Amino acid sequence: MKKLIELDINGRLYEVAVNDRDLLLDVIRKKAGLFGTKKGCGEGDCGACTVLIDGKPELACLKLAIACQGKKITTVEGLIQEGGALHPIQQAFVDHGAVQCGFCTPGMIMSAKGLLDRNPKPTLYDIKHELSGNICRCTGYKRIIEAVQAAAEVWSKEGVK
Amino acid sequence: MFLNHFEYFAPKTSRETLELVSRLGNKAKILAGGTDLMVLMKAKAISPEYLIDINGVEEFKGIVCEEGKGAVIGANTKLAEIQFSEELKAKYPALAYAAGEVGSSQVRHMASLGGNTCNASPAADTPIPLVALGTKVVINSLSGERELLLEDFIQNVRKTNLAEGEMLTNFILPEPVPQSACRYTYMGRRDAMEIDIVNMAVNIELETDGETIKNVKLVMGSVYPRPLVSKEVPPLLIGQKLSEALIEKAAEAAQGEAKPIDDIRASAEYRREIVKVLARRLLKETYDAAKGV
Repeated sequence: MKKLIELDINGRLYEVAVNDRDLLLDVIRKKAGLFGTKKGCGEGDCGACTVLIDGKPELACLKLAIACQGKKITTVEGLIQEGGALHPIQQAFVDHGAVQCGFCTPGMIMSAKGLLDRNPKPTLYDIKHELSGNICRCTGYKRIIEAVQAAAEVWSKEGVK
Repeated sequence: MFLNHFEYFAPKTSRETLELVSRLGNKAKILAGGTDLMVLMKAKAISPEYLIDINGVEEFKGIVCEEGKGAVIGANTKLAEIQFSEELKAKYPALAYAAGEVGSSQVRHMASLGGNTCNASPAADTPIPLVALGTKVVINSLSGERELLLEDFIQNVRKTNLAEGEMLTNFILPEPVPQSACRYTYMGRRDAMEIDIVNMAVNIELETDGETIKNVKLVMGSVYPRPLVSKEVPPLLIGQKLSEALIEKAAEAAQGEAKPIDDIRASAEYRREIVKVLARRLLKETYDAAKGV
């Protein structure tokens, strides 16, 4: 039997009918119509489905939608700045050529956001360690790490949120 | 990859949770982080009829770490909280380090300490330092509470001492004694999302002279169906000052006790070799840390 629940995604309330077994990832993509969050392995290994839940990076493919009531869910679409400008992390990914096919990018960016919110001045090791749950099939890791380093600099200078 | 149909419960208190656990019994699974449970359900390895989501129960979360009184960690404390806890990093660095090496950042923000134990994977990271530290688990049911040493709680591959109607609620870590140190290490193929080939923790306590070993505990993972506490290493080292020759002897003893299997991650032969390597490194590292070097 379906239940009517409210989910706070990017500050907007979505009223959706879900089964107990529906996964957050499917609800974000199919019911909220937000296609930024990607479905990769579906087993929690690749990180393509990473979203922030109450500010923490979590895997939407292993999360029940019904368990997310009352929580703040942020997807890559939620990073957009006033006036439609890109978020500094997104801008850094563009500037550093850290996007190839782009499939891993939303997950990478959400993991980077989770890291920088907690630790705005990460070391190279911190970045590698915290992003190691995001796999890039194009293997463009070097530029991704450079982009996060660049975003961290903007972050500590301008205090972006 | 669909999940089977199940009924979802989200209790708010420990009492409500225990009532559900008691009433639904083995047809229910407790959902904490879901990073193991959901994967098993997607693979159709298990198909529980009920899920009891304990994330709304505040009593099962949190770290209480008081000076001189050890620590109590709630079963649903997320591994990331343990990894980043300044108090735990200072008092139990082996545990904080092991928690930080589980899965990936996302997994650590979801997965709980209790789940890592109750999943009872022989390759799990956190039970190894917890056993080395002498951790007890608190098991609750409607009929009361009992405590058990963690090394007696995990019994076999995916098998724990939990009876129907019971759940793990807390970990009790004893206060580290003066002049002691506990360290953890592992070997895996890559940094994240790998399953350890061998992991190990060593806890060493020194006599007041600061050099003679008073007590030692060496615990191995991934080489036995449950965390393996070495019986042969302590008699070799207690009452001795650590030397290169003793390290070699102890490492060989640990190697002899390990009973690893061949699987897709490594051969039994390779694992036995790695036990020796890790034991050598970790005994030295822990001894130096206990000496305060």
